[in-house]
Parts: sequence; C-alpha cells; structure tokens
Amino acid sequence: MPKQTKESKTAEMASDKEQSPPILENLEENLKQIQSKLGNSPDLIIRNYESLDHVNHAAAVYINGLIDMERVEDYITHALSLDSLQEKAESVATVLERFSFAKGKALSIGKEKIVEDQNSLLEGLLSGDTMILFQGLTKAISVSTSGGEGRAVTEATTQVNIRGPKDSFTESLGTNLSLVRKRIKNPNLWIETLTIGAVTKTDVSIVHIHGLANEAMLQEFRKKLSEIHVDSILESGYIEQLIEENKYSPFPTIFNTERPDSVAGNLLEGRIALFVDGTPFVLIAPATFFMFFHTVEDYYQRYDVSSLIRILRFMCLLISLFGPAIFVAALNFHQEMIPTPLLINLASQREGVPFPVVIEVLLLEVTFEIIREAGIRMPSPIGQTVSIIGGLVLGQAAVQAGIVSPAMVIVVSLTGISSFATPAFNMALSVRLLRFVITFVSAYMGLYGIAITGLILIAHLCSLRSLGVPYMSPVAPFAAGDQKDIFLRTPLHFMKIRRRLVNLKSSVPGTSAQLRKDNPHEN
Amino acid sequence: MRKEVIGPFQLFAMIVLFELGTAVVVPIGLESGHAVWISILLALPGGILLYLVFADLYRQFPDLVISGYTRKILGRWIGWPLSLLYLPVLMYNGSRNLREAGDLLISSTYDRTPIFIINSIMVIAVMYILYKGIEVFSRTAEIYFWLIVIMGLVSNFVVIISGLVHLKNLFPIHPGEWLEALGSAYPSIWIFPYGELVCFTAILPHFSTRNKVKKTGIGAIALSAFLLSFTHAVEMSVLGTDIYSRTTFPMFTTITLVNVANFIQRLDAIVILTLIIGVFFKMSIYCYAAVSIAADLFNVKEPRRLVIPVGVVVLFSSFVSAENYPMHLKDGIAFLKYILPFMCAVIPILLFLVHRFRRRFGLYK
Repeated sequence: MPKQTKESKTAEMASDKEQSPPILENLEENLKQIQSKLGNSPDLIIRNYESLDHVNHAAAVYINGLIDMERVEDYITHALSLDSLQEKAESVATVLERFSFAKGKALSIGKEKIVEDQNSLLEGLLSGDTMILFQGLTKAISVSTSGGEGRAVTEATTQVNIRGPKDSFTESLGTNLSLVRKRIKNPNLWIETLTIGAVTKTDVSIVHIHGLANEAMLQEFRKKLSEIHVDSILESGYIEQLIEENKYSPFPTIFNTERPDSVAGNLLEGRIALFVDGTPFVLIAPATFFMFFHTVEDYYQRYDVSSLIRILRFMCLLISLFGPAIFVAALNFHQEMIPTPLLINLASQREGVPFPVVIEVLLLEVTFEIIREAGIRMPSPIGQTVSIIGGLVLGQAAVQAGIVSPAMVIVVSLTGISSFATPAFNMALSVRLLRFVITFVSAYMGLYGIAITGLILIAHLCSLRSLGVPYMSPVAPFAAGDQKDIFLRTPLHFMKIRRRLVNLKSSVPGTSAQLRKDNPHEN
Repeated sequence: MRKEVIGPFQLFAMIVLFELGTAVVVPIGLESGHAVWISILLALPGGILLYLVFADLYRQFPDLVISGYTRKILGRWIGWPLSLLYLPVLMYNGSRNLREAGDLLISSTYDRTPIFIINSIMVIAVMYILYKGIEVFSRTAEIYFWLIVIMGLVSNFVVIISGLVHLKNLFPIHPGEWLEALGSAYPSIWIFPYGELVCFTAILPHFSTRNKVKKTGIGAIALSAFLLSFTHAVEMSVLGTDIYSRTTFPMFTTITLVNVANFIQRLDAIVILTLIIGVFFKMSIYCYAAVSIAADLFNVKEPRRLVIPVGVVVLFSSFVSAENYPMHLKDGIAFLKYILPFMCAVIPILLFLVHRFRRRFGLYK
C-alpha cells in the first residue's frame, strides 16, 4: 500500500479542489469529457433525451452495475419524458423549467443534490448516483440511485453461536447500518459518514449512541480517522492498523465482529463502532483485554453456565500461552516437580527420542501450525481430510517412528485446541505468536524465564491503551463495581448500572443518566 | 507531558508487595527465636508511626520527593549532600534483594547457570517496567497483588491440611522471650521491612487522592504485617526454631515437606514464583526511588534516561559486593544495624522535627 507523506497529499488534494473544472454549457462537450475522464469505459451509460423543439437536449448518465435499474428507469421516465410537462405548459418548456421539474421529481426517489463542477459529478457517478445534465445549464442534478449486486444477509461464519440471532453483516454499508438500527430503535443512535482513501474513496460510518459514548473519546476517534492519508482502504483491518495507539504491540487494541447483536451490545456499553463499506467486519473501540474473551452468547445463556464457560476460557488462555513452556521447563529444569512415577514414565517414553525436549516441542508445534494453515484455505470437505491425515495419521506415525514422545503429542494438541477456545480470532493469533517466544525462553531459563516473561508481558499489557482506556481495565486499574462482568457473568439483574469505561466520566452526564434510567437492562 | 497518577488501591497493592517482597521468604528477626511472629506484630506500631512521618512530610510538600524537601527544610548546603547519600543506599539495598533471589534460584535449580545471567534477566525486566513509567508499574502491581494473595492462600492451606503444623513449636512464650521479641522488633524488624518504606517518599508525589494517604498506607502496612506474621508463624511451627534459623530460605524448606495424598507434593514452584515476584517489585521500587531522587538532585528533565544507568549499577553491585552468600549475610547484618536505621528513620524524623520547628518559629522565608 503506497503511503504518501502528509504534506504532499494535502497539497495535491487542495490543488484538486482548485482545478476542478465547471460543468460546461454545451451538453455534447460535457458528455465527451465525462467519457474521456472515465477512459471510455463500457459500463458508463449515457441516455440522451431530445426535446420536441430540438433545442432542449437532456442526458441521463450513470454507471451500469452500481445503480438500481428499477429506480433509474422509474425516475427517468417521470422526470425527462416531456409529455407530462408539456400537458401543463402551454408553450415549449424552457431549460430552467425542465430543470426544476426534474429536480422536483427527484423527491420521489430520495436524496438529490445539485452539482456544479466536474469532479463532484464524477465522484457522484462512481458512488452510484445518476446525473441529469441539460443543454445550456452549468449544473447537473445528482440523484442517489445506488444499488447493484450484493450478498444477502447470511449466518455468521466466523463467530458462530448456538443461541442468539443468526444474521451477520454483509459487504454493504447500508445493510449493515440497518441491521443495527433495527436492534436499537432510539433516536440517540447517531451515524456519521466520511470518506477515507484517496483512490478508493471508501465510505466509513462512525456509529455511537449519543449520551452514552464519551464525547472526548469520540473526538479523538474522529481526529485519528481524519489523520489517515492512504490511497486505499480495502478492509476494516487497514483502518484498525492505522489508528491503533500502540502499533508494535502483539495485542489487538481494537475489537472486530461480524455480529450485529455484538455491535449493538457494545454501543449500549458506550463504545464506538466503525462500519467500513465493503467488509462485514465492524470495528469497535475502545477495546479492553477481557472483551476478547467474552461472547454475546454469554448473556443469552444462563449466568451460572456462562460464568463457568468464561473461567474455562481463561484457563484455556493460560494453557495455550504457557502449556508447552511449562512442560519444557519441567522436563529440562524442574524434574523434581513431577511426581516420581510419572517422571519415570515420561523418561521411558523419551528413551528413543533423539532430540532435546524443546526441539521436540517445536517439531510438533510447527507441524500443527502447518496443518492448521493448510486446513483454513481448503474447501471445507477437503479441510477435514487434511486435519484427519495431519492430526491423526501424522501424530500416530511420528510417535511410532520415535521422533516425538506420546506425552508431547498430548501437550501440543491440548495447547492447540485450547487456542481455539478464545472467541476472538485476532487475540488467539497473538497468543499463538507469544507461545513460541515463551517456549524458547523456558527452554533457556525454565520456570524463572517463564515468570520473568510473564511479568514483562503483564507490564506490557498494562501499558496499552485503547482510545485512552487502559487495556487491562477494570482489573488494573481496579474497579470493584465492574468485576461482575469480567471473569464471571453475574445474573442480569445485578448489572443494572452500566460499566463505566474506567475513570473516564461521560462529558454529558445528564443525557447518560437519562438513558440509564430508560433502559436499565442493557449490557 | 501529563503527570502520572496512581490511585489508592494501586498504592495499597504496591506497599503490600513491597513489604512482603523478600521478607516473606528469608528469615527475619533471628534473635527472638520462636517468637518471631510476635516480634513482627510488635514492630507494627513503630512501622506505622514511621509511615505517618513520611505521610506527613508528603502532605507538607505534595509535589516533592524526599531529596526535594530535604533541601527545603535543611537548606541547600546540608540538604543536597545528605540526599545524595540515599542513592548508594537505595541501589545497594536493591542489589541485595537481587542477590538473594539469584542465590535462591541457583541453590534450588539453576546450579549450572551463572549468577550474572540470572540477575541480568531480572534487571532487564525491572528496566523495562520502569521505562514504562510508574503508572504502568502500579497497574502491574495490582494484578500481581491478587496473584500473591491467591498463591499465599493456596500454600498456607496446603501446609496446614498436610498436618505439618505443630503448635508446640510456637508456644509457650515465657516473659523473658517477650523481651527478646521486643528486642528483635526494635530496631531490626522495625527497619526491615517497615523502615524500608522510605522508598515510597519517591512514589507518593504521584498519589492521586491526598487525603487518603494515611488510611491506605496504614491499611496496607497492617495487612502485610499480619500476612508476614502468619506466614512466619506457620514456617516456625513446621520447622522448629533450630531448622528455621539455620536454613537459608525457611519458606522453601517448609513447602518441600508438603505431601497431600501423594498427589500435591512439590510446590517449590510457588515459593520460587513468590520470591521472583516479591524481589521484582521490591527491587523496582528501590530503583524507581533511586531514579527519581537522582533525577531531582541532578536536574534531569526526563527521569527515564536514568533507568538504564541505575539498572546496570544494581546488576553489577549485586554480585560484586559479596564473594559468597555467607559474606553477603554478614554485610547485611552490618548494613541493617548501622546504615539503614540512619537513612530510613533518623533522617526522616529529623526532617519532620526540623520542619515543625522552623514552621513553629516562622523560620521559613
């Protein structure tokens, strides 16, 4: 992704504005210019409408595929067919009369505006508007007719759940926003749209609930978005990486989801969502570490089960982070920690294995990663074959061939499975990466190395911030009132007070108090 | 730059971790025999009074570290050199903690790893966290506070249910032994670990709620005193006076005896972890105090730049200062007897009195 320096970019944009040529009076000339600017593209459709007196020509211009054909046809027949106007007017209609008539008709379609320079005309065309140009006028009517092909709303594929709504976001910004609107029927759900990407001109929408979201946070979020100067935004991941505060941290500080209910829940907690056109993944900020281990389903199932499952997830985090490292440390440095019968057992298993423990771990871990990576890209029926051949056959054969010991297979596969128990895939990836680091350190320094790495890791986590909110909150800084929804999920009637996004008071306390009273059962 | 602040609970967690630090693992107050746990409690009021002196000085000069108000109270010509004395003492004390941790690790598991490697890894972690600032440090302390509490509960519980506790090792306590207990409480336990809180004079300027400083500190000191006393009582009751005073790390020896149903046996890792965490926090606080006092004395705008020099000095003095562990212990006794009381108690109390005196008679300009 070519990234230009800020100065040259802004200079270029400024010159763009100045040089933008006006729309010409001559219709023929105008149309030619549009065609040449779009490189005589075949999907540019120009429909000419000649008037009876052969003077008042008009033309409708749009790009095929970006528009909703039905609406365009409907609009053009009403606005440009002259019969309806001719009936009322006694003489031949003037250009201005036709212009205002067409503009009036546009009301039935929806958004319409008047453009006067060629650049905004092209921008409009490319975002799916239909342009109406008239002979002899230096302005054009731009009617919003965007439509075109898109994927239907389907079941979520990356964040599956058992109980809960089955819809998920699509690639269309409008559809995605409507999915959230349907869930939060409140006038305080505010949406603002801006365009990012000098070439792609991608629409992104900042969504928040007015009165719940912190104004200062919102300001900072807007500021960060406005500081993005790149050519292309193809997925929300670009924006995520560009606005992250700590760019070299292995941990994600912005949450993403493709579930509308998750977005709605987070908006109600006072967070800000960022929708990007062209991707089903919506960004949510500020994110805290513990958010990545919660799922929306925790709130749909009963509290006791959910709490246990949450504890299980945190256990899995520890296993997937420290599992192989502790095994290596125990076998290399701390044999006395293992009960003697088990130690003899392990030693006899390793009798024929020619490698040190850490090499054995790495061999299996790398194999596991290969199987995993290969399985992801495969079509699902083949993916299963890969995992069966890779997991069962290879593991069994490796043990029989004496390359690895059976206990090692247990440790590595338990670690691998544990890492799938993290609901957020990006967090699981970070843990996967850090696992290798910790395994190496433990091979060198044993438990002491693990303890020191753990200290550094937690210090690093404590130093992260997401939109100003400490990443480890509410554990550090500790907020006793917020503990009921971190490691446990207490019954819903305990959670009447909204989690305060640690130490940052809402700048509009009146409204938030009002809202708090209105819907006490959100979360 | 925004001023870094720490909240009451963060200060609480830091004080508890600092107090427990090494004191929970190494034997303290050997003179009092099996009444060591009483000595710890007897020294508590003195510790609290000393803390109140620090807190009072902080409330008089909320934005200054100890070297700052020493110069205000005693004048530049006495104050500056006197505060300079804190630097070697703090760094040496930090390096002593490091040495103790390194020696436990070497004697328990890492018999073939050079002490330089072990200590330098710890110092790297300390430098990293100090580089991140006191706010990050205090948050980390909060998380580890819970970890230490949980590990303490688990190990005490396990020691008790495995039936190792023999109360006859603790009682009876004769009247003469009360006097002995008092004798070891003052000054040795009073100074280590309570007096060492003098480091917090460098941290208090970052404290957010000024009026809670006394309540938080007293609560934290009392809690750590009870935890310390309880842990040492358990160790003493398991090992008996004789072994307790001869072993280098009584807690380590205690935990190796645990065997519950032939399944939970070998919990040495918990002790090692406790010691690593304790030493880490204690040493970091020492280094932090040294860094901020040095920054104040030499007018360094960005204290972070001193983190690496201080860390390197601490690292080298940790294994250069004594040839072997017995010598290290011998140095420690002298250090505890002659130098620490002066730095931890005499100077702060002197400052407190002089400040009162000068204010009473309007001697400030």
